[in-house]
Amino acid sequence: MGEFLNPAFLLEIFNYLVRYVPITIGLAVGTMLLSCLLALIITILRYNKVPLLGKLADLYVLLCRALPSMILLYLVFFGIPILLMAFSGTAKSAMLLRNIPPIAFAVCGLTLHTGAYLAEIFRGALQSVNIGQTEAALSIGMTWSQAFFKVILPQASVFALPLMANQFLNLLKGTSIAFMISVMELFGAASVLAADNNAYLEVYIVAAGLYWTTSICFEKIALRLEYNLSYFKRGANK
Amino acid sequence: MIKVENVHKSFGNTEVLKGVNINVPTGSVTVILGPSGSGKTTFLRAINFLEPADKGTMYIDDLVLNMASASKKEILEIRRNTAMVFQNYNLFMNMTALENVKEGLISVQKMARYEALIKAEYYLEKVGMINRENFYPMQLSGGQQQRIGIARALALNPKVILFDEPTSALDPELVGEVLEVMKKIAREENATMIVVTHEIGFAKDVADQVIFMEGGIVVESGSPQDVLEHPKEERTKQFLARFTNQ
Repeated sequence: MGEFLNPAFLLEIFNYLVRYVPITIGLAVGTMLLSCLLALIITILRYNKVPLLGKLADLYVLLCRALPSMILLYLVFFGIPILLMAFSGTAKSAMLLRNIPPIAFAVCGLTLHTGAYLAEIFRGALQSVNIGQTEAALSIGMTWSQAFFKVILPQASVFALPLMANQFLNLLKGTSIAFMISVMELFGAASVLAADNNAYLEVYIVAAGLYWTTSICFEKIALRLEYNLSYFKRGANK
Repeated sequence: MIKVENVHKSFGNTEVLKGVNINVPTGSVTVILGPSGSGKTTFLRAINFLEPADKGTMYIDDLVLNMASASKKEILEIRRNTAMVFQNYNLFMNMTALENVKEGLISVQKMARYEALIKAEYYLEKVGMINRENFYPMQLSGGQQQRIGIARALALNPKVILFDEPTSALDPELVGEVLEVMKKIAREENATMIVVTHEIGFAKDVADQVIFMEGGIVVESGSPQDVLEHPKEERTKQFLARFTNQ
């Protein structure tokens, strides 16, 4: 293997690993979007104390935050096929299930995990908006959903964004557990490569570099978004 | 005309409204006075269902409503015929002054954007805030925010505007500008107003009817001359004495 930390060798590792960055980003972004949607629905159910569904939403948040994400992922990966088969019970559906790529289960498991945390972030964000804002919206005759989407959400999102960015960075690194159910992403590829070449330090240095770069890029994007969303808190006039 | 009869409201075991009646003719100004805890704010909030009453009947023009069992649709209908000016202004923080006034016109009254703009600017002009139309609430003083709050209520052309201690949160030197605007709209717009306030001077100058509340009931009501200058009830005299001694 030659000298320690040979640049040519590092470059070779980089060229190999960089191909897995899009998979990691795809997993994280896809999961984040689905999680946001899930958390928004959960939040609305809880906020309005919808009978039964509101309680179920509470239970979901409680249970999914209480599990290591890895266990949640295993439960989804091994549990969902059995659950689906139990409902349909035909050999044909079993065949179909085998064709679902593991990455779909990974997104599903990670979404359940992240969605629960986001739901708590959203709950806090809603509490940060003064009750007077809702009252004013209702007093001019807005419906609840008009008040929520036009007045409350834009203000709550300013509060939520830094926390969501935090959660996203967590998720970006958390995608590495998808390797446990055979999804080849950045961490998985690095592990295999390191073992194959018996070059642990080199491979993980490059992997760390790739995680750093990706995370920092997203951090910048989050800061930009935060700036744009908080337009009404700045002194900017037309 | 807005008439509210026999309004009751309890918070837990405390009954804060014990059968309040009020009759406000169209285009008139009613001022509700009373010490803290007399239930005057709760009464105002009950009128547009921010604090649903336990009992009571409401008449707005030809609309009759049981306040304890109003459906969501009826509540929406009432809210679309009333408007409120809050003690803490409660302007939408994420909207400019102009957007605050336009929003209800567009999303509630389904007015065309251009029409809403013209109307919103008309009312901002009326309250003297047209030169601040593109400012966000955070960039404005309390007095300015409250004047925009009044424009927001007024632009909806409600059958009644409810003022919940509109000057109580203001610096003393900003109170005047808001009271001036309120006097102006009472005169020029002929708005029907119910005003909860501690401004006795405003009541003397503008009110057609003054109501003195305490302990969840109306103690005395009548013209400003009757109630403020020749009060019959002992409790009203005591309350007013504090203001005249100042």
